[in-house]
Amino acid sequence: MKNALSQITRILLQTVLVLSLMATAHAAVPGITGTTFNLTAQDGYLNQPDGEAIYSWGYGCSVAPAGFAPAALVSVSVCPTMQVPGPTLIVHENDTVTINLVNQLPTAAGNTSILFPGFQVTASGGVVGLLTHEAAPGQTVTYTFTASQPGTHPYYSGTQGDLQIEMGLYGAVVVIPATIPGNCTTGYHSAIAAAKAHWGEADFRLAAAAYDHPGSCYDREYLFQWAEMDSRIHRQAQAQVAAKVGCTAGTMGCSLNVQTEPYHPAYFIINGRSMPDLMDPNYASEYPHQPYNADPHTHPGDLLLLRTIGQGRWQHPFHEHANHVRILARDANLELSSSTTPVSYTTPGGTAVSGPGLAGLLMFNTDTTPGESFDGIFYYTGRGLNWDPYGHHPVSSSNDPLATLPCIPDVNGYNSAATTAVNFFEWCQDHNKPVEVNPFGDVGAGGPVTLPDPDVVTNGQWYGGTPYLGPDASLRAKMPTCVGSPNGTPNPTTPSGGAGTPPVNTANCTTLNPANTQLNPANERGWAFMWHSHNEREITTNNVFPGGMLMMLLVDSREFVIDETL
Amino acid sequence: MTSRKLEITCILLLVFCVAALPAAAQSFRAQCPPSTITHPGDNNAEPAYNGPTQFTRPTTGTQQWVVPTSGTVNGAIKCQQVSGGDGYMTEADGTQTFMFSFGPLSGLADIASGNTGAEFPSVFNTPYPGTLVRGDPATTDGAVTGASPGVGVGAGTAFTWNGAVGIAPDVIQTLAVSDVAEGAIPAPGTAPHCPAPTATTVTAYTFEPAGIPVGAQVTIANSPASAAPAPAGFLGTFTVTCADSNVISPGGFSQYAFQYTDSTTGLGSSTSLEGTTASTPPAIDGHVDPRPIMDIGVMNGNIPGPLLAFDEDDEVFLTLTNVGMIMRPDLFEQHTFHFHGYPNASSFYDGVPDASVAIDIGASFTYYYMAPDAGTYFYHCHITPPEHLQMGMVNQLYVRPRQDRVPAGQSLYTSLGYQNGISEPTTNPVVDLRTACSPGADILCSATMPAGGATANTATRAVPGSLCSNPAVNVGAVVDAAGNGVAPDYVYNDGDGSTCYEVTYPIQEHGFDPNFHFVGMTFNPEMFVDMKDKYFLLNGRSYPDTVGQCGGSVISGCAPGPQATVSSDGTMHYSQPLPAIINIPAGGRASLRLVNLSVAEYFTLQTLGIPMHVVGWNAKLLRDQAGTNTEYWTNSINIGGGESDDVILDASDNGCGSPGCAAKLYPAGSVFYLYEPDLDRLSNDAENFGGMMTEVHICSSVTGGNTFGNSCK
Repeated sequence: MKNALSQITRILLQTVLVLSLMATAHAAVPGITGTTFNLTAQDGYLNQPDGEAIYSWGYGCSVAPAGFAPAALVSVSVCPTMQVPGPTLIVHENDTVTINLVNQLPTAAGNTSILFPGFQVTASGGVVGLLTHEAAPGQTVTYTFTASQPGTHPYYSGTQGDLQIEMGLYGAVVVIPATIPGNCTTGYHSAIAAAKAHWGEADFRLAAAAYDHPGSCYDREYLFQWAEMDSRIHRQAQAQVAAKVGCTAGTMGCSLNVQTEPYHPAYFIINGRSMPDLMDPNYASEYPHQPYNADPHTHPGDLLLLRTIGQGRWQHPFHEHANHVRILARDANLELSSSTTPVSYTTPGGTAVSGPGLAGLLMFNTDTTPGESFDGIFYYTGRGLNWDPYGHHPVSSSNDPLATLPCIPDVNGYNSAATTAVNFFEWCQDHNKPVEVNPFGDVGAGGPVTLPDPDVVTNGQWYGGTPYLGPDASLRAKMPTCVGSPNGTPNPTTPSGGAGTPPVNTANCTTLNPANTQLNPANERGWAFMWHSHNEREITTNNVFPGGMLMMLLVDSREFVIDETL
Repeated sequence: MTSRKLEITCILLLVFCVAALPAAAQSFRAQCPPSTITHPGDNNAEPAYNGPTQFTRPTTGTQQWVVPTSGTVNGAIKCQQVSGGDGYMTEADGTQTFMFSFGPLSGLADIASGNTGAEFPSVFNTPYPGTLVRGDPATTDGAVTGASPGVGVGAGTAFTWNGAVGIAPDVIQTLAVSDVAEGAIPAPGTAPHCPAPTATTVTAYTFEPAGIPVGAQVTIANSPASAAPAPAGFLGTFTVTCADSNVISPGGFSQYAFQYTDSTTGLGSSTSLEGTTASTPPAIDGHVDPRPIMDIGVMNGNIPGPLLAFDEDDEVFLTLTNVGMIMRPDLFEQHTFHFHGYPNASSFYDGVPDASVAIDIGASFTYYYMAPDAGTYFYHCHITPPEHLQMGMVNQLYVRPRQDRVPAGQSLYTSLGYQNGISEPTTNPVVDLRTACSPGADILCSATMPAGGATANTATRAVPGSLCSNPAVNVGAVVDAAGNGVAPDYVYNDGDGSTCYEVTYPIQEHGFDPNFHFVGMTFNPEMFVDMKDKYFLLNGRSYPDTVGQCGGSVISGCAPGPQATVSSDGTMHYSQPLPAIINIPAGGRASLRLVNLSVAEYFTLQTLGIPMHVVGWNAKLLRDQAGTNTEYWTNSINIGGGESDDVILDASDNGCGSPGCAAKLYPAGSVFYLYEPDLDRLSNDAENFGGMMTEVHICSSVTGGNTFGNSCK
């Protein structure tokens, strides 16, 4: 008994140690960790925003996994017995990975299996199928491989793929690189870590680099798995499964005959969800079988790693508003220059590490191709706008100290030394440059543009009410509210001017209240950018716009704490 | 007497009501400032690029932003106005198709001749000298019903004006002045929040906000019949030095005030003035007359929408004016512009209605952009994109590199070094970080220095009348309308001349689903899942309309004009201004700026004969971080909706060996084809011939410039 107790204590201590290590070692895109994964294939229902619950098949955990990642998400993480996409398997480079798959699909669905493209897989158990070993109904099959290559990899059914993948049998493997180049934890990246720490923002990364390459550093990451569903196929499978309940595996007639052509999808999904459901939290209870969301956020200056997989039948031109994406790798193969002259990767104050130059495309439309993954880096800084997104003004008439923050450019032109400032990573060349000719709140005069009469435009749900970024700038820049009749009749107060300072023209008041409290609340006031399929009919759900493959990237000013658990 | 008094009161009230509306209440307008803080001075021409723009930043005062040093300013100002509404186009099988679409409201003559409608301020801000009529420029040109492309230009007077439709001098704003005071303000008056008045400072009080910005001119005058005029010393035209609200006038009322400086002293103050007015002079300041905007803008849809092309370092003012869709009076559709691919965009000017504002019917909104990196982009409406894009709200856009502005004969490598901070000229010693590309610190830049350094990259800026290919093995030329030689240009800031071209053509791939367009014209629910393109378009036209009457063989001097469609208003409109014919001077190279804006399909374009040299992708030069070009050769290229690439059709005959070799592969007079090899798409709905195809003509020379609107000889 005593022995047993001390053993339990020791295990608990080890667990605590492991957990604390995970907390400092940065965890990942939501998923499960370990080297042995006990998966099951089962059926279930996927919720769609039109109210449909679509009969589907998915992989899940047959027993609780060894762990979850990232650490900052562990408190909310679960692994159901069926989910679409399947659990994201997070492993380390050179790990020996074992997957035990038990086939708990309805008997009539027949055999199932998993393929791991890009790995040398040893399969055992089950029965030999066309592409790999398969698990007959109730059987278990085992796959073993060495995680030889860091990056993002798909996995999906190797049995009757036209039906089983359509039904939802797919997922991702993320391999964390063995070594992190020194430039990825110094310079800008340590400054960004300091800024996060200052505002109390957790680190949701798997690692500081996607590959063992100094050009693959990143500061936050997201995984997007693109697919589409033709609900007719799902209904047909559901009806046939129901008609054949209790049939004996392998006997005549105990199989499905679902027509997978002609293919006419009406649901276009990212991580199993459609817009707007995909903006709900990871592991939200409304989607018991769709735990992963697609709700990217970033701060100016952060390098954002996009891990993307095409899991459906169709190509989708994934259009990222706001900037280009550098393709690092396709199917986890780094795309590198043929030149023998290396590139020195370094940011101010950081370590320089040399490596072959990246040669991947720079794209604003990153095609997702069935069965193919890509990793890409995106960032947003506002460089070159030619106006100050924070609305800084050397003389603040509202006595707001944030209006008069300095911007000290580093060698690349960014305010990267001020890690605790709201305007950390501001592009300094445009500092203090106004966007508008006439005064607009506290934001100064002289810019080229005359902003529109707010009465002749319609505000969007993510529009913060002003052109500016962040809660402070938006509030400060808001036009004075009209008192009395509309259209510029006088307001009773005149902000302090005094001799030598110009008065504020309160006649430019507005009757509009643009504040949106739900999608871009007053403490956020981020800049929203649509990330979506540019085959635009795919941003619909069953013929209704908006929906489908559409998400919003929020670029948030530094004071807004991005919490991926929410 | 009583009635007369009432009448006066009413008139006064009316004046008050009108004057009380600030300038912002005008909902149509067209902004084009002749100068800005980034571009002071004259902006009606592109200066040569001799090094980075130099800046200084004042460290005191209220204007602590960077100001450029005179003589180093790069770029200029370009403005364009576009209508958002509806219209009809003509398919190659003769069907007229209803569209939601954009049309030109500036640069009408340039758009009709196949060029960009982005104009310098001096052009944009020029009012039309006469009266525009419905359908212009097609009406004035004399375009006739049923005309095929190129025949549309008829017997009328050639339309040449390129200003902004509706632009008109702002009306003289007149306000009643109740009190004036020179020097100190007598009680009970209070001083405005302005610098303390001097002996010649006049404070004038009004009952309404003056709406006159500081620095503007104001004219103070008395009405001739006034019983209580202001003393003569207060009268004249002055500059406003300060303005304020909520002050007490010497007469004892809460009022507005503004100040100016006069020339005499000792005038004292006068209260309860009658008939004294402050007025602002008429000015071209963005004010428009809405009548011509509606006359020209309604039913004026183009496919593709107005072309927008400008230069790196430009500031661009793009005004979208929503004239409503007269065929769908049930819809209150807003429109926006999304500048697709703009790097580091602000959400405000990104055109996504959910993230910004959408422009209501009857309103204008001016999008503001600092030109991004050179390359091929496009712009389109982002309201309900599966609907508005399928219905035709898709426009082309490209940005020319600063390498085009490098003086002839100068090293391209050295000039790229100027923008990248490798070495700067003594006149412009400080790097402009906005233009720099440092691959080790910035993962998203592509204009790195080409591998091999200056010794391996000896290309110089091409001179007028020359060809890219050096030495030329087959000799053609491009001349402008005046017969002067045109220098080859570049797609990107390459530093090695690898993206050189003689002629450039923006080509938009698109597809129309006639079913969806019918549903869009009528009042039925739209089905997105069943969308199926049946018309396959290059620049809004299917073959043979892509080449107009100039097809089949090289017809000397033939230029396909704008395609006109008679709309439901019974008037001819230029519906498809751009042809898709590719004229290449013998021995030359054509840059194709390919974009796909189909909302449903990936498309492939294939060439027969002339190889494609792919030099750019998604508005970025194909070059890796080590400086090695990753360009490649192909004969077909596949792109999805929302993608762009830069292809050079290389007919320079470099493959034939020595200069002047006998066996020319691409001799003048030959015709090649560019088409969609998914042959199902070589159809026009039920017509089993046509579709996504155009012709490439090899010319002994190309006249009329280096893009659409030119002709082959």
